[in-house]
Order: sequence, then C-alpha cells, then structure tokens
Amino acid sequence: MLSALLRVVSPEGLLVLFIGTLAGLIVGALPGLSSTMGVALCIPITFSMPSDMSLVLMGAVYVSSVYGGSITAILLRTPGTDASIATALDGFPLAVAGRSGEALGMSTVASLFGGTLSAIALLVIAPPLAKIALIFGPHEYTILTVFGLVTIVGVVSDNPMKGVITAVAGLLLATVGFDNFTGFRRFTFGNSELFDGVPLLPALIGLFSVSQALNLIVSKDGGILSKEAVLDVAGRILPALPDLKRCFRTLMRSSFIGIIVGILPGAGTSIAAFIAYNEARRHSPTPENFGKGELEGVAAPESANNAVTGGSLIPTLTLGIPGNAVTAVFIGGLTIHGLIPGPKLFTDHAETTYTLIFSLFFANFLFAIIGIIGARWISHVTRIPGAILSPMIIIFSVIGSYALRNSMFDVALVLAFGVAGFFMERWRYPAAPLVIALILGPLLEVNFRRSMEIANWDMTTFFTRPVSVVLCALVLLAIAYPIYEHRKARRRAGSGKASPLGAGRDID
Amino acid sequence: MRKTFAAFAAAAILGFLPSIGAQAADYPRKPIEMIVAYGAGGSTDIMARIFAKYAGERLGQRVVVINKPGAGGEIGWTALANAKPDGYTIGLINSPVVEVYPFTRAKTVGYDLKKIKPLVNVVTDPGMIAVSAGSPYKTLKDFLDAVKARPGEVTLSHEGIGGDDHLAALNVQKATGAKFKFVTFNGNAEATVALLGGHIHAFEGNMSEAAAQIKEGKIRGLAIWAAKRQDAVPEVPTGAEQGVNVIAAASRGVAVPAGLPKDVYEKLLAVSREVVADPAFRAELAKLNMPINPMFGDEYQKFLDDSFKTLKAMWDAEPWIKE
Repeated sequence: MLSALLRVVSPEGLLVLFIGTLAGLIVGALPGLSSTMGVALCIPITFSMPSDMSLVLMGAVYVSSVYGGSITAILLRTPGTDASIATALDGFPLAVAGRSGEALGMSTVASLFGGTLSAIALLVIAPPLAKIALIFGPHEYTILTVFGLVTIVGVVSDNPMKGVITAVAGLLLATVGFDNFTGFRRFTFGNSELFDGVPLLPALIGLFSVSQALNLIVSKDGGILSKEAVLDVAGRILPALPDLKRCFRTLMRSSFIGIIVGILPGAGTSIAAFIAYNEARRHSPTPENFGKGELEGVAAPESANNAVTGGSLIPTLTLGIPGNAVTAVFIGGLTIHGLIPGPKLFTDHAETTYTLIFSLFFANFLFAIIGIIGARWISHVTRIPGAILSPMIIIFSVIGSYALRNSMFDVALVLAFGVAGFFMERWRYPAAPLVIALILGPLLEVNFRRSMEIANWDMTTFFTRPVSVVLCALVLLAIAYPIYEHRKARRRAGSGKASPLGAGRDID
Repeated sequence: MRKTFAAFAAAAILGFLPSIGAQAADYPRKPIEMIVAYGAGGSTDIMARIFAKYAGERLGQRVVVINKPGAGGEIGWTALANAKPDGYTIGLINSPVVEVYPFTRAKTVGYDLKKIKPLVNVVTDPGMIAVSAGSPYKTLKDFLDAVKARPGEVTLSHEGIGGDDHLAALNVQKATGAKFKFVTFNGNAEATVALLGGHIHAFEGNMSEAAAQIKEGKIRGLAIWAAKRQDAVPEVPTGAEQGVNVIAAASRGVAVPAGLPKDVYEKLLAVSREVVADPAFRAELAKLNMPINPMFGDEYQKFLDDSFKTLKAMWDAEPWIKE
C-alpha cells in the first residue's frame, strides 16, 4: 500500500496525474467530448506506458472530465457531458444573476466531496458493495429506469406535461435501431448509421450546445450574460461556511446516491445527478427556489455525479463488471496491460490497483485546486461576444460529433438536434427529459423484455422479488409526493390552479 | 507568399504520389491505417492493437488502429471493403459475423464479401456453456437433462440474435433436441453479471471472456465447443467428449481490400507470418486467454468460404431472423 502511494507521488506519477487531470477538464468542459471518449482516447497512448501509470492517466481523465462538464454547464448552459445536464438547471441561473464564481466554487467543492467519498468507498468497502451489482437483475433494472424517468420528468420543467412529451419523444427515438432480440431493423430507413440507434452524444451536443449557440446568434445582447452580470464575475469563489453547512446534508445524501447508482451497471452519472437533485429539492425548506439559482441545486448533482466515478469502479475492479460505458473502456485498458479485473487485482496486482485508487484522491484534489484557482479566469468566457462564442461552440460540437465514430452522418444529426433544441427552448419544451429518455430508453426496453423472457410474459413477476417491490414503491412515491405537495401548497394558499398531470410545480 | 503556396502545392503533390503506385520495394512509405469495426477497449480492438504494434515494428511504419464501430461491425467492414486497395488501409474481420450479414441483411448490407480479401487469421475463440459455481449442474449432461425435463424453462443467455453465441446455441439445440429459454444480452459482460447474480441458469459465450471468472472459481465451464481442450481452461471438457458434436467459435483476423497489388499483399503476408510466430506476440495473447490459430491467405479464405456455406445452409433451412 505504501509503495503504491509512493508511486503516485513520484515525479512520474504526479506528471501523469497532472496531464490526465488537465486533459480530463478540457474533455469534460468542451461540448462534443465525453468522458467515455476521453478515456478511450487514452488507450492508444497508454499502450507503451507502465500499467500503473496508464491506470493513473485513465482515472484522472475520468474523474476530472465528470467535473469539467459542470464549468460550461454553469457558465454557458452547455453541459460538456451528460453528467452535468442537471447542474445547468441552477448553475446557469446563478451565473445570470452574477454569481458564477460562487456556482463554480460550489460545484468544485461538491465534486471534490463526492469524488473523495466514493474513492474512500472504493478503497475501504469495495468487495461487499460490489454485491449490490449482482442483486440487481433485469426486473430491478426495469423498475429502476422507470424511477429515473419519473424523477426527471418531475424535476426539469415548470410544466410537467411538456416534460412528459419530450420524455416520450426521447423514448420513441430510443426505439430506433437494430433489435438484438429479434434481428429487426427499426426505423433505420435502410441507413446503416442508424443501426445502433440514435447516438446519444450528437443528441446531447445538438440539444444543449448547438441550440445555445443559435440562441446567442439571435439574442440582441451580443453576449451570453447581461453586462451587469459579467461585471460581477470577480465575486467570491469558495463557498461561505454557512452555505457549506446548509448544504452538508445534501452533499452527504447526493454522494451516497452517486455511489450506489455508480455501482449499478448501466445507470450512470446523469441519472445519479438528477435523482440527487430531486432529493435535494424534496428535502429543502425552500423547494420553490430550485431552478432559479439555488446553490444546493448545484451541490447535489455535482457531488452525485462525481461520486459515481468511484462507485462505478467498484464492480469494475472487484468483479470485472463495468459500472458504465466509461468503466467498460477501463476494462479494455486494464486487459491491454494483462490485468484481468477481478479479486486477483487486489492480491496479485495489488500495487497497481492501489496506485489507481490512491491516484483518484489526488486527481480529485488536483481538479479542485485547478478549478478554484481557474474559476475567476474561466468565468471570463462569458465575456466573449456571442459573435465569436457561438461559432466556437458550433465548431467544437461538429468536431466532437465527427470524432465519435468518424461519421458525417453524426454531424448532420448534431445540427438537426441543434435546430430542434432551439425551437424546443423557444416553446419551453425541456430538452433534458429527451436526452435522459434516450439514455434510459434502451435500458428500460432490454431489461423489460429480458425479464419478460425469463418470466414468460407474466407482468406480476415485478412484485415477486423484494428489491423490485421496494423500487415499485419508490416509483409510486415519486409520482404521489409532488401531487401531495401541490395539494398542500394549494390548501395553504387557499387557491391555485390544478396541474395538468397533478404533478405540481407548474405555478407559472 | 506565392513561394510558400508553391512549396505547399509541391509538397501536396509529392505526398500524394506514392499512393498512386504502391510498390513492395518502397512499401510502406507512410503509416498504415487498420480499421477495427468495434469500439476501443473491446477484445477485438485489444487484439488489433497488439497485432498492429508487432506488424508496425517489422514494416518500419506505424500501423494505426482506427475504430469505426457500429451496426455490429457492418460500418467498419463497409469502410474496409470500399477502401482504396493500396496497402495503406487494412482491417480486422470477425468470423462468423462478417459472413452472415450478406444474407441476413441482404437488402441493406453495405459491403460485398468478395471485396474483402483475408490475410491472416489470428485468434479462434471457441464458444462455451457455463453455469455459476453454485449451480446444481456439474456436467453438460446434468444441464441438458434438466433442460429436457423442463423444455423451454431453463434459461440460457446469448449475445444477440444471429451472433456467434446464438448460432452456437441453436446448433446445440439441433444436436441434442434440447429446448432452451433464450435470454438476450448485449455482450458477455452483462450476461456474466446476470449469471453471477443468479438471474439466469446458464451462459453461452466466448471462452476468452469467461476464462478469468472460471479461473477464479466464480463460474464453471460445462462444455467448450472446440475440437480439443483449451490451454486457458484445461479442465473444461469439449462438447464432443460428452457426446455433443458441436464446433462453434468466433475468429478474428486481418484482411485487406480486394485488388491489392500482389507484391504488397505478399509483403503483408510475410510480415503476418513473422508476427504470429513471434513468441512475445503469442505470450501477450496467451495472457489475455485468446487462443491463437494462425491461418494464412488461401487457407484462411477457404476457412471463411466453408463457414459461409455452413451458415448459409443453416439460414436457408431455418432463418433465425423472420421478417
């Protein structure tokens, strides 16, 4: 263990760590480069490196890219990765209010908190936690994805009906592609590039980044923020102690959510962030401030998505089961160096493995330091006139989407999603449920059909397994709670209009 | 300014020239692209990168892996088949998958098998049936008896319809009369989780991807669909040893676009022979539990042709995708 620690703090280790962290920040912040791509890009580079150093590089890129996405989410409302979609909900309103420094500071501290806590979990209690991944079978995943969808629809929109509409649109888009169960091609129109479905990254980049660039083009202000807001950039960065105290429970709860969601294969950073955001709002004494620039609304998703990083490495390293797409690439990186994931990693290759785990702590602190020091300068990005910023965003979006699989089709897709996103924004249809449904749709479908294959199409099977029953109850609660809240609020107010779905929060 | 432009133009023309007439004497004069039809970090990609490293050392030029994943490999193979046959684009092909698309996707498939010329097969990864360590089934017979006692109730995973695992399982059904309840997964990793978690009874997948869990005693191999036992998991008996004559495997090799100049092809072939004979290369693959099975040029072509005929006959008799 000590020798592993010494490897991390060796000049070589620190250099790799620094390069990885910086590269991860850039990958995360730029629209068009995802965490998965960042780690995948490392693989050819690590080919000729010692195995422990290549793991340090991949680990650093992973954790700091998840954090990096929040920077652009807060400043420009263009989340760099799907992990930070939820961060934009309150981060950008804070920036508009001239509190971008504070928002960046909170996101940095929250990411550090979540990342460190999950690295501790990985270091101390990985083997027992890994068992959670095995308890979840197709049945449990089916209900979990339903829970995720219900949560997200409730979170993002002031009009739940519109959230439902875009979520359904996302689910429909998710049906495109080759059906692995029957061999049918669905809605591909003979186009082999749609064979694997509508790719997530072009949808994400188009709906958030390109549409925001288009917004900038048509806006009269000429910049992303009003002049007054920009002038306030020099405000405080590190969160004030009372703010931190207020957010402490949220940070703990969100990190816990992130670690658990991280352990579950398939679910990922974006889902953890939304569930944590929703929980933070539910427990808040002032839920009405969420979505308008609430620091807790930044703290929750950012601690949760970084807590996923350590969590997702738990089943990856102990069982050889990737927790998500990024860690699937991780497994590839491990096997290239002849390290087969599994318990042997902690015995035969203990030094290499612990070097990786220790390096995660350092990477978390390193990105936090860079983030705190850099926040003031990075904030100036909002001063760049729209005429320069929006072409830049579009260029990065186009390059990123092309690089994904060297395909011009994806570039066209990004631009189409960009235009769609622009109009959705105008007509106040939230884009987040669409993207999340695109992520969860395939998971929901294959796990539902898989459980039906096992249960011979007997739907009651979902109520025959304890974990699945608990999740069903959570889904009901997630639907019922907002209705109850809304009723209570209406009783208190004496009057109020009924919501279309009864799901509340549409008092506009 | 004008001078700079002229210099650039000259450089551009000079840079373009070698690709017009590639000759073995000076081939290769620039890095070679190697198309992998699957994503970075997968088992095909890992093998490709190791091969690329050893081939590059001998060719004196870098062999650069380009991932073109999508459509179960179709996108990458289409790029390979349609690439310029100048020796600067080569690629990985995966059998049997590369052979089945031309008839299972007859209407839409983007490549013509005739435009892909096989160079060297590197790995042949046999299929196998495995159960978790706590399963009551100790042998293939135990398992098949249970399946026959409860037809259509014992679950068996595969990696997707028409994939090599699914085809192997279909062959086992045909050979034994057993009837499995298939549960579809997207890849061996997902199926392994379900097996370890007790959500399915058994798993049909590739040896290289199950070997690590077998060595750790987490899962038990019941039968391997190969002609002889495998070094990576010597305790697992073959199907034939237990009276089930099924041979099934996924093979990975290197191919080039058809129409490559003969001398360039010969040079690549010679280099491939050296690579697969290199003890260091073989050791790297052995560490990854990938069984090496070299076949070159015409021999590899014949292997693919035979496999194509068998699969086509199977498809014609009973297509596994019904439209």
